[in-house]
Amino acid sequence: MSTETLQDEQEVKRQNYSEVEKSEIFDTEFTPHVDSMYSFAYRLTFDADDAKDLVQDTYMKAFRFINSFQRGTNAKAWLFRILKNSFINEFRKKSKQPAKVDYNGVEQFYNSDDAGENFTTDLRVETVQHMIGDEISGALNAIPVDFRTVIILSDLEGFTYEEMSKILDIPIGTVRSRLHRARNMLKEKLAKYAKEMGFNKQ
Amino acid sequence: MAEFSDWFKDTFKNCYCEKGNLIDETRFKELVQLVLDDEADDESLTLFEEKIKSCVKSNLTYENEKSMREQIKTKLCEHKSEIPNDLAQIIRKSVNL
Repeated sequence: MSTETLQDEQEVKRQNYSEVEKSEIFDTEFTPHVDSMYSFAYRLTFDADDAKDLVQDTYMKAFRFINSFQRGTNAKAWLFRILKNSFINEFRKKSKQPAKVDYNGVEQFYNSDDAGENFTTDLRVETVQHMIGDEISGALNAIPVDFRTVIILSDLEGFTYEEMSKILDIPIGTVRSRLHRARNMLKEKLAKYAKEMGFNKQ
Repeated sequence: MAEFSDWFKDTFKNCYCEKGNLIDETRFKELVQLVLDDEADDESLTLFEEKIKSCVKSNLTYENEKSMREQIKTKLCEHKSEIPNDLAQIIRKSVNL
């Protein structure tokens, strides 16, 4: 990620923090998010070492461009944005994951007018109650990364649509539709899994 | 926001037939997600809440989606990767703090 990108995206006046201030910001505003950042990175990369490297890389960039960060603003969203960009621009290329699905094609399909008709999953709450976290994580991991990302940001990290729009560089309308499609995809995966495991039997 | 509010209200209206029965559950579920995400404005929310008080099918769909969301969220949160305990320290060192 370039310095310009960070400055433009944040639309804030460049700061001129002293070394003491930089250290304070890092400790009080950035460091508290290490755990969330690692969880997000792990759910993107599926690898502990990769996740660690990605988080470390994100923090190094955050520190390098700290003058683009305005104190008291949403540090967590700012850091998540850097992490997401690092993952897309650099990390995905060397990721140990197998080839990704062409999500643009997938999204195009799921955004088409008749796509909703395909989501007639009979997934029930009782079925989900019988599942363990590992099974649900497996289903989440099986959906394309850009759809997985919106679920993580919204349901696990509690970001608003507006914050997600800034983190992901997409319009709010796209956040809304992508999230809707992503949740349906997750339900489909869970329903399929439940059927295979016989969870749906009365 | 006004545009979104109009869209929400129009979509909501189209989920019901003239008699007021829920006929488009798929669309309704999409609106439920927006309500659960706290993205509906006050006017839309009032409209939504009034309806789920009086329509059993809408209420059931809403409660089902809400419970499902809570279940999935709880189980995903429980299933977190183990965070390296020295990570914050490594990061501080890497930026020379």
